[in-house]
Amino acid sequence: MEEQTPIENTPQASKAPESSLPENPKAAKSKLLAGALLSVVLVVGLYYLNRYWIAPAVRAQTKSDGNHPLAPAFSLTDITGKPLNLSDYQGKVVALDFWATWCGPCRIEIPGFIELQKRYAAQGFTMIGISMDDSPEPVVGFYKELQMNYPVAIGNDRLGDLYGGMPGLPTTFLIGRDGRIYAKHVGAYDPSVFETEIKELLAVSPTDEDKGFHQAGQVFGDDKVELGNRAAIESEVPGIDLTKLTADQKGAYKKILESQQCTCGCKLSLLKCRQVDYRCSLSRKLAQGQLDAFLKVKSSGVATK
Amino acid sequence: MLLWGWVLALMATSLGWAQNNNSVVEAHAVMATDAAHADSPLKLAVLAQVAAGYHINDHKPSLDYLIPTELKVDPSDQFTLRNVVYPKGALKRFAFSDVPLSVYEGTVVVGTLLQAGKAVAAGTYALKAKFAYQACNDHACLPPTSVPLTVTIKVVPRNVPLKPVESDVFQRIKFE
Repeated sequence: MEEQTPIENTPQASKAPESSLPENPKAAKSKLLAGALLSVVLVVGLYYLNRYWIAPAVRAQTKSDGNHPLAPAFSLTDITGKPLNLSDYQGKVVALDFWATWCGPCRIEIPGFIELQKRYAAQGFTMIGISMDDSPEPVVGFYKELQMNYPVAIGNDRLGDLYGGMPGLPTTFLIGRDGRIYAKHVGAYDPSVFETEIKELLAVSPTDEDKGFHQAGQVFGDDKVELGNRAAIESEVPGIDLTKLTADQKGAYKKILESQQCTCGCKLSLLKCRQVDYRCSLSRKLAQGQLDAFLKVKSSGVATK
Repeated sequence: MLLWGWVLALMATSLGWAQNNNSVVEAHAVMATDAAHADSPLKLAVLAQVAAGYHINDHKPSLDYLIPTELKVDPSDQFTLRNVVYPKGALKRFAFSDVPLSVYEGTVVVGTLLQAGKAVAAGTYALKAKFAYQACNDHACLPPTSVPLTVTIKVVPRNVPLKPVESDVFQRIKFE
């Protein structure tokens, strides 16, 4: 798995036949309706044909570009109190499921994940659940109720953002034995989708990976896997990458943010809003604008205090 | 050409499910009258528009684990909350649930009955509220979130008559 400072927790047509006879208006209307109905059926048919047959086949034939990102490391404590470090699963195939108990499509997937864990754990596979619930209580209850057989920890927005953000749940990542992400599935899927990919990833031996394994055949996800910027996520001004600034410049920049009011309605300074409401897109945009202006002044040679 | 246009439009709809969370529900508040009197009730309605393809949960969800839709009105020195009237959800079947779920889709109208305090002086006041919801489509869910609302309420002397506005909206709400 990627060697980085791990994130830690603080406790998802046919042509119509021609006729030479004149038609009465009722018959013509019926034909028109039938034609329209046929068109709709055809369109829907083509849509599903593309969605479930053509598009997957095209994706499956697409060669991996060897550019699968390394799964960001994290250290959490699972809901049973045991440490849960992604790095402990190096050499294994991992399905990392971001989910929540309040999410119906997430819940429907869990029995399938339990079955996959039973079926493939002995071959070097593990499921890991990252619940995005606000508190562990409902998660513990659900874990016990379904007799979940794989580690589950409570996640947070920062971890979600490291994995490129969680616009929707469930979001499941398939990580190969080399610690790289080979698939990302947003939304609920049939367990067979995951099973196919798990089998492909398991088929690659750890030894092969040591020799520079970078792809695992036909595994594909529905989305391009784009990860978050760790520097921005772990910044003193959350969401803003301050690595181009010196310590003094960081201080000066923070003072600027502190002196400006955020206009999102929070009645806080820009700095405070970034710190207390990581998800506020307006304060992030404003703070980034201030940083760009700050850097512009810096590059033009104007002294910054 | 037209046919493929339809196909592409349908595919785009399918692929674009993960739209910006902030745009899944848009909401605004309206008053039943152009102003309010001190020591009198006043009616507000929140009109929320749920994006096509999405639903939000009923205020009284069908299942315990679902997060209810809720209108949260901030405490105010001038106005007290007397009642919030939620619409009845529509029972819908979803691929992820064995039982039909009571949900809101399309336009959701939530009524609010407030009481202006006896000592409220004539003037303009801002009342803050939040329309809290958790949205899903048939395939995935978005995190719980809320739309902040600010209602500007003008309080006028009792001798100034109040004019009804947005009557079509308020006819749909049963406040009692």
